[in-house]
Amino acid sequence: MTALLEVEGLSKNFGGLQVASDISMTLSAGDRCALIGPNGAGKTTFVNLVTGVIPPSAGTIRLDGRDVTRLSAAERVRLGLIRSFQVARLFKSMTVREHLELAVLQRDRRTFRLFANVARVAGLADEVAELLGSMGLTPVAHTAVGSLAYGQQRLLEIALALAMKPKVLILDEPAAGVPHSESQRILDAIDRLPKDLAVLMIEHDMDLVFRFASSIIVLAQGRLLCSGTAKQIAADPRVREVYLGSRTNAH
Amino acid sequence: MTSVAERDGKAGRMTRPAPLGRRRDLDWIGIPLIAAAGLAAYWLLPEDLALLTRIAASALFVLSLDLVLGYGGIATLGQAAMFGTGAYAAGILAVNWNNDPFAMLAVGGLAGGLLALVTGALILHARGLTLLMLTIAVGQIVQEVANKARDWTGGSDGLSGIDPAPVLGMFRFDMFGHTSYLFALAVLVVGLVVARRIVRSPFGLACRGVSEDPLRISAIGGSPKSYLVVLYAVAGVIAGVAGALTAVTSGIVGLDSTGFSWSAEALVMLVLGGTGRLYGAVIGTAAFMGVHHILAANDPYHWMAFIGLFLIGIVLFLPGGIVSGVERLGGLRRGKEGGA
Repeated sequence: MTALLEVEGLSKNFGGLQVASDISMTLSAGDRCALIGPNGAGKTTFVNLVTGVIPPSAGTIRLDGRDVTRLSAAERVRLGLIRSFQVARLFKSMTVREHLELAVLQRDRRTFRLFANVARVAGLADEVAELLGSMGLTPVAHTAVGSLAYGQQRLLEIALALAMKPKVLILDEPAAGVPHSESQRILDAIDRLPKDLAVLMIEHDMDLVFRFASSIIVLAQGRLLCSGTAKQIAADPRVREVYLGSRTNAH
Repeated sequence: MTSVAERDGKAGRMTRPAPLGRRRDLDWIGIPLIAAAGLAAYWLLPEDLALLTRIAASALFVLSLDLVLGYGGIATLGQAAMFGTGAYAAGILAVNWNNDPFAMLAVGGLAGGLLALVTGALILHARGLTLLMLTIAVGQIVQEVANKARDWTGGSDGLSGIDPAPVLGMFRFDMFGHTSYLFALAVLVVGLVVARRIVRSPFGLACRGVSEDPLRISAIGGSPKSYLVVLYAVAGVIAGVAGALTAVTSGIVGLDSTGFSWSAEALVMLVLGGTGRLYGAVIGTAAFMGVHHILAANDPYHWMAFIGLFLIGIVLFLPGGIVSGVERLGGLRRGKEGGA
C-alpha cells in the first residue's frame, strides 16, 4: 500500500528550545493512527509542522508522494491534508449549513463566482444535505454556530473536514471538552469515517485511543518515544513511565 | 485552552433555530421598498430634488463602504479615494471627449475599480489600525494628485463645465433636477441589486468567512487576501460609479470628493444605518443627510450639536444601527444576543 503521508526527520527549534526533534512517521490509506504523549510532549507542534502552520527547521513532509515541506498551509489543504481543531474554530455568525457550503465551494474552487446564487450552485445542496445527515446535524442546519451546543460544534468540525474530501485527516482531540452525554455521537462519527482515509488522531483519552487506533505513536519531549500496534504500546514500559502521573493531570 | 467549566457552559447553551426564512423575506422586499420610497419622495418633496439626488448618489457610495467594511471587515477611512477618482474620471471624460451619462458611469466605475485593485493588492496584507492608516494615506495621495493635476482636474477650483448628454438621448438633465433624481435613484437601485447578488454569492459567503476568521479560511484552503482584494476592487467599482453619478447629476467635481472627511462621513452614515446589511447604507445616508438638512435649515448656528446628539443617541440605544432597530421592532431577527 502506498504511503499517503510520509514525515522524515522533522525538527523544529525556537532559538535554543527544541520542540520537535527528528520525528519520522508514515500513514497509509485506511490507517487509523493515534498520536499520544503527555502534556507538553509536542503533539500540537507536530500537527502545526505537518499542516504547515509553522515551518520546520529540518526534515521533509511528503503528501501522496509529493514534497509539500515548502508549501503553505492552504496549499496543503488543497492537496488533501485536512485538520480539525482542538478547540472548535468556526465562524460564529454563520449557520451550520453555510459552513458546509463554504467548505464544498472552496474545495471545488467555485468561491470566486461573484454573481452566482449559493442556493442554486449545481450539486451543492445535495452534497451539503448528505454531510449534514451523516453527522446528524440536519435539525440544526439553519442554526448560527455561535448558539450550537459544543458537541455539535465538534461534529461540525469533523463534517467540515470531510466536506473537503481529505486524503489525510488529522483530528486534534476531537472529543475534548464535550460532555459524556454528547461524546458518543462523536465517537460514532469517527467510526464511520470513510475507510480509505488515512487518519491521525491526537488524543489524551486512552479509552478512545484503544477503541480507535490500529497503531499508536508516542511523543515525549519533542521526540518520538516509540510506535507500534495498540497492544505493543499498551505493554511498553517506557510509555508507562512517561505517561503515568501526567495522564491524571489531563483529566 | 478553555477550562472544562467554560466548555460545559457552552455545551449547556440552548440551541435555537435561526429565523433565516423570515430574514430572507425581509431581504426580498427591501429593494422594491427603497425604490418605492424613492419614488414617493419624488412626488412628495418636489422642492428637495437636489438633496434627494445627493442622498441617492451618497447612498451608493456608502453601500460600497458596507461591502468593504460590513462584509469584508476591512477597516478603511479611504473609500473616498475611489469615489473621487470615479468622479474625476467621469468628469474629465465628459469635458474632453464623451458626455454620455452611461459612458461616464462606466469610466467612473472602471477608474474606481482599478485604483482599488492596485492599492488593495498593495495594502490589504495589513489589518486593523495599520490598514486604517494605509487607506488614509492612499486617500491623501489621490487628493494630492488631483490637486497637482490642475490642467485636468481644475485643482482646488474643482472641475466644472460637466454637461452630460440626455439619458438614452431622450431625457435631458433639466434645471429642476427631475431627470437627475430619477437617474440617480435608478442607478442606486441597480447598485443594490448587484450588491445583494454579490453578498449572496459563493464569493460573498467566503468574504464573510474571511471577515470573521481569516486563518480558518486558510485552513479550508482559501487565500484570505485574494478574497479581500477582489472585494475591495468590486466595492471600488461601485464607489467609482457613485462618484461618476455625482459628477453627472451635479455637474461639478471638487477636491473634497476624494477627501478624508468624506470617507469619515460615509463611515458615520453606515454605522448609523447598520453595517453588513446593505439597506443600512441607504437608510443611514437618508437619515444623516435628511436630519442634517432639516437642522441646518432651522437652526444654522447649532445644527452640528444636534447632529452630534442624534448620533450619540443612535449609537447608545441602537448599537446595530437604525436597521437593527427596525428588525427588532418587527421581531424579524430574534436576537443577535445569543449568537455573539
